[in-house]
Amino acid sequence: MRAIRFPGMSVVLLVFCALQPFDASALPAFARQTGQNCMACHAGGQFPELTPYGRLFKLTGYTLGERSAVPFSAMAVASDSHVQNTSKSDDSKADFQKNNSLIFATASAFAAGKITDNLGAFLQVTYDNYASLSDDGKFHGHTSADNMDIRYADRSIDEHRDIIFGVSANNNPSVADVWNSAPAWMQYVPVPSPTSSSFIDGNAPYPGYAAGGNLAGLTGYLFWNQQIYAEIGAYRSATGIASFMSAGVADAEKTRLQGSNPYWRLAWNHGWGAHSLMFGTSGMNAKIFDDPLDTADASTVHRFRDIGFDAQYQYLLDPHTVTVQAAYMHDNHRYPAFLADQPASDAAGNPLPNTNARDHLDVFRAKATYVYAARYGASLGFFNQTGSTNSALYDPTRVYGNISANPAVRGLTSEIFWTPVQYARIGLQFTAYGKYNGATHNYDGAGRNASDNNSVFLYFWGAY
Amino acid sequence: MNVRMMVPLALGIAAAACSNLPRSRDLGNPEVSGATLARQVCSNCHGVTGDSISPNMPKLAAQQREYLSAQLRGFRSHSRRDPAGFEYMWGISRSLTDKQIEELADYYAAQTMARAVSPVSANERGHALFAAGAPDRGVPPCSSCHGDQGQGNGKFPRLAGQHADYLVKQLTVFQRTDERPEGAIMKVVAHALTRDDIEAAAAYLQDSR
Repeated sequence: MRAIRFPGMSVVLLVFCALQPFDASALPAFARQTGQNCMACHAGGQFPELTPYGRLFKLTGYTLGERSAVPFSAMAVASDSHVQNTSKSDDSKADFQKNNSLIFATASAFAAGKITDNLGAFLQVTYDNYASLSDDGKFHGHTSADNMDIRYADRSIDEHRDIIFGVSANNNPSVADVWNSAPAWMQYVPVPSPTSSSFIDGNAPYPGYAAGGNLAGLTGYLFWNQQIYAEIGAYRSATGIASFMSAGVADAEKTRLQGSNPYWRLAWNHGWGAHSLMFGTSGMNAKIFDDPLDTADASTVHRFRDIGFDAQYQYLLDPHTVTVQAAYMHDNHRYPAFLADQPASDAAGNPLPNTNARDHLDVFRAKATYVYAARYGASLGFFNQTGSTNSALYDPTRVYGNISANPAVRGLTSEIFWTPVQYARIGLQFTAYGKYNGATHNYDGAGRNASDNNSVFLYFWGAY
Repeated sequence: MNVRMMVPLALGIAAAACSNLPRSRDLGNPEVSGATLARQVCSNCHGVTGDSISPNMPKLAAQQREYLSAQLRGFRSHSRRDPAGFEYMWGISRSLTDKQIEELADYYAAQTMARAVSPVSANERGHALFAAGAPDRGVPPCSSCHGDQGQGNGKFPRLAGQHADYLVKQLTVFQRTDERPEGAIMKVVAHALTRDDIEAAAAYLQDSR
């Protein structure tokens, strides 16, 4: 695609015209199944954030409605990003490759919906047009498994009690969750191809589990009187018949877990009037092999212990939508013996990569959004990552380096968006950094400041 | 847990779960009873006894069965086309059978409206509009059709206890649009009401039982 100067009007016109063929009567898979407007399940029409009704739709296994003959959907994202300062770089063309260029970033295909009265699924496969960069400086596209959730659910409800219970086979810890402050869902959506835009919000820290996604997990859950939610389960490597959950991910990039790794979630939920509130906690212990291609030696396992706390508030009264989320995750990382506690340098004076036996990382995110008439929206987000200093993080590379060997990143993201029709959205984000790779000033040792990475990001999102 | 056990487990669950009539959320199966749909589907927004929490969704408890039936038929045929109708209810109602609609109407008509949270407010303006109307502006009293307690009467819905926000929005729909043709009479009734009138009447009715 030809590069166009950001934010040229031609870009807006081109993509807006491209979105016009979306037929207002042609609905994405879930909307076809229920016949309802997207905003019935998504707060103010924001994806993926769920309304109280959307949460119940998901927890009851996507089984509400009529089974669709064509349970498929697709979405695509075009985007353009602009980094504030590209001059403090030895090779700005290489360091900021797709800066100021309109790109077709990502596309996803979904198979989703009701299968039987108790069984439903949400299966996402994503194509990333900028998945990898080869030595010749060219990007290459790639398709791989994204979020997957196949669930069995039942509900016992009468005047005295309401118990929803179920089992989810999924590939990403917390993807079965129904609150937007859960790690799998708390994100500015769409998340574009990160390799093409290194400093947009999608690349800023988010609370998450060390094990990441593309795993194979089985969790059981219970939602009692729409007040207490409890989920417990375990995750393993996505191998054997579960390998479809990591399909398309290169073996060297897969997370290889040792045995079954526990995950848990507990949340308190309350609705009153147009308000709903949730406080929750969750955690996961994961044993991850150092080299995904060598899972024979148990002594090469990294041990991670993650514990998180999160909260969500929603006020939904047409035409107003106000939502606030906050999430904090503490990650404790214990290195395998062969990597732990190394001296800062070897006998010849060469620096060694890791001086710690353990590291910790703390990530906090908060976001407040207002949407009017499910059409016009604005949000403000804050992120702060802190953690232990470790020589393994030391990197003198210009722009992307870290001379403090500390992982601290802090900043703000603000966004405005317009949803002219419910299957198309145009958004403009601005991300400002107060700290990057451990420092406010000169974080790369070559004079680059955190604020030099401030980024503007324009996106066009469409679904069908 | 062994990953190799997951597929047989899933298949077993699927085989056992093809149809679950007593607890189905299938809106395309005419065999599912109205009472089951009320609990498994409608309760998500309207509450299991029709006493909805969110003012976005009307309370249905103790509503007139004739009115409920007419509204569901109106959603199904798309003759009722206010935003609350087409955004939420067109899809839900599209495949309901007449029998299911009557069962749903029976279910909610048989429920009891929860007790008032606060006593009827000293809302003289709202009370006056409800009980006496505004004869000088040609506005009849609400009670003349909707009952002396606002309890409704056949095709005239119960108003007592309804969310004020819902009443305000629907009065505005009647006043300014033709999106609810079955309630065309309300266009005449509401045409002379000011915004303050509407809010006062709605606040009074919300506190009534």
